[in-house]
Amino acid sequence: MALTQVSSNKCCGGYQKVFEHDSSELKCKMKFGIYLPPKAESGKCPVFYWLSGLTCTEQNFITKAGSQQAASEHGIIIVAPDTSPRGCNIEGEDESWDFGTGAGFYVDATQDPWKTNYRMYSYVTEELPRLINSNFPADPEKMSVSGHSMGGHGALICALKNPGKYKAYDATVLAASYSGPELDILIDQGRDDQFLSSSQLLPDNLISACSEKKIPVVFRLQQGYDHSYYFVFSFINDHIKHHAKYLNA
Amino acid sequence: MDVYGLRGPLQAIAEEMAVSEEEEAEGDEEAFVVVRKRPVTSDPAASSDMYCSDCGTPTHSGQHTHHRVVPLPDAVILNICVCMYVLYVCASVCVCVLQENFGRQEQNLEQHYSDVLQTLAQRNSENSTSLQDQKKQKLEALYGQLLACGSLLDTGKELIENAQELHRCTNRNEEVELKVGVSMEFTTPPVDLTVVKQMMESINVVPAPSAPVMNPQVVNSATTSSLRVCWSLFSDDTVDFYQLYCPVYMTVPSPPIIRLQECLSCLEAALVRWDSGNTNPVESYTLELSEADTHSSVTESIVAIPTCECLVQLQPWKRYVIHIRAVNIGGASERSPPITISSTGTFFPLLKETAHPSLSVSPDGFTMFYLDEDLPISEMVFSDSNFSSCVAVLGDLIPIRGQHYWEVEVDEWAEYRVGVAYEDTQRTSYLGANATSWCMRHIRTPSRHKYEFLHNGWSADVRITVQPLQIGVFLDYERGILSFYNAHLHQHLHTFTCCFHHYVLPCFALDKPGALTLQTGLTTPKYITHP
Repeated sequence: MALTQVSSNKCCGGYQKVFEHDSSELKCKMKFGIYLPPKAESGKCPVFYWLSGLTCTEQNFITKAGSQQAASEHGIIIVAPDTSPRGCNIEGEDESWDFGTGAGFYVDATQDPWKTNYRMYSYVTEELPRLINSNFPADPEKMSVSGHSMGGHGALICALKNPGKYKAYDATVLAASYSGPELDILIDQGRDDQFLSSSQLLPDNLISACSEKKIPVVFRLQQGYDHSYYFVFSFINDHIKHHAKYLNA
Repeated sequence: MDVYGLRGPLQAIAEEMAVSEEEEAEGDEEAFVVVRKRPVTSDPAASSDMYCSDCGTPTHSGQHTHHRVVPLPDAVILNICVCMYVLYVCASVCVCVLQENFGRQEQNLEQHYSDVLQTLAQRNSENSTSLQDQKKQKLEALYGQLLACGSLLDTGKELIENAQELHRCTNRNEEVELKVGVSMEFTTPPVDLTVVKQMMESINVVPAPSAPVMNPQVVNSATTSSLRVCWSLFSDDTVDFYQLYCPVYMTVPSPPIIRLQECLSCLEAALVRWDSGNTNPVESYTLELSEADTHSSVTESIVAIPTCECLVQLQPWKRYVIHIRAVNIGGASERSPPITISSTGTFFPLLKETAHPSLSVSPDGFTMFYLDEDLPISEMVFSDSNFSSCVAVLGDLIPIRGQHYWEVEVDEWAEYRVGVAYEDTQRTSYLGANATSWCMRHIRTPSRHKYEFLHNGWSADVRITVQPLQIGVFLDYERGILSFYNAHLHQHLHTFTCCFHHYVLPCFALDKPGALTLQTGLTTPKYITHP
């Protein structure tokens, strides 16, 4: 479980780093971005896991979302993993943008040839937190998960399948059934999202399911915004603050 | 004061003068010149030994040869000049004393005569009233007589006719007697002038003392039931007793009454309001502030408060006991009954005078009801301060630009608006529909609960899956934010960002009949203050 530092840049008083390691779950080399706030130099900090969307790598979020400012302010470590195993030489993994490489969907595959490598759910909920907690000044009791697009869905799945594991959740899409400790889910959705208008996203289903199950969700339909990282950039502060409320409680 | 009384001091003055005059420079009175010269020259020829009656001056023998000159012994000269001076001094002192006494006498006499005149005038008016009464009675009697006279005339006429008839038959004379039955004399009631006489006589008895001089009231010289009155008098007046009239003196005021339900507070300050409770004039009020838990005496006083309210700065997270005293020239009143204020949260009631006529506010000022039966428009009383369209009411938030938190309890059927508005927000407009109000609105549709966060008629599009029944409202002037929370879930619902240039007041409205309860004085939860 040796970590190799790929890059390190000072940012907002802390450091934005990228590490590479050999994943036991995914059986390949994996990269993740990690932002260490100034507070991490003197003590343990809660960790905020960010799950990116389709086609993304660990780079998209750390270069485009501008999350470091709020993370620095609230003293939160942000971990942004890659979205799928890479270089596994599985037939057809690079054929489609929404399946295979860059499209792990944060689930554990159950069929060959995928089930050996495509274990993103186990990776983000088990292996990666273990790795982070043992190598960085992270508070293992305080973690939360969030994401965009496919990552948002992933975050919801992680949260709903692991009652009590994550302190706060939010996502941009999808439905759930849940029983466990009270959640507090914040969802922002761009009103001009091309996937919303093409009915690939079904927020009403999620809202009615959550209403029925009394899962607290605040769903904000943001006028004029689309699916891009400009949208993520615009609301990331609200989300980090939302998480900070629980992580720093 | 008599002249004999003056003798002793005058002699003393004269002796003193006689000595001091010797040292004085050459004077204008020749008599003094002589006195002065006597000890200077021992030559008897040089001293004045003669008196020139033509010139009226002492002189030396051999001078004034053509005048009538008489010898003048030294002792006489000395006596004359001393006496002259003594008389001069004596006369001037007497004149002063007399002038003063005359003035006082004159004043007394004037007073006395005006009293006498007043008494006389009173008697006169009494007499004239009784005479008027007599006159009236007599006139009435005369009127009666007149009527009787009329009937007598008729009788007389008949008698005459009878007489004429008789005359034709016999030559008999008959007499008819008419008599006025009212005495033409007035009885003058005896006028009792003994009092007036006494008053006239008393003028020449002991002179009335001069009016004492009232000293102005001294600060802090009174209590609620007593006063210290001081006056001065002339020492030579004989006084038996004083009569006291004191319209210009004041007892200390009664303690004010704190209006408990209208006192506001927050972390940093309290607004205390009270009623004067006095008919006596109150010049100002004093607020006394002490920390409740330290059992110390007064830690702070605010003095010279001109009105019946005071905004007082507090330290957060403490309990204070506050008393008010009313102050006038007599001193400070007793302390009012105390009020205990905790600087742990923002406390305020609803402002009943702003409530829409259809809205009733509970006596404690924290619950509002919109009853099902609608009042007819004709029975609604509107003023400038109450809402006329939106069934709304404002809260009386303390004017402090800090952080404030309050909660609103609603039931799941309530359709409401809660938020803040500027004090002068349009009373004809709906909350959230204008630029002067910000609010969260709940609407029930057949399929779902709809929430709006309204300002200037525009709302963000927000879906909320769990209906908030206890809404936390957080206002932070410094950061310019107004946030709404589901207080049960600690769930953030929405935040308005706006620089509130003026003070805002909490606002509450019911769009459908129902009830809404306000909870204030709460400590802002940590999840809001330390996100």
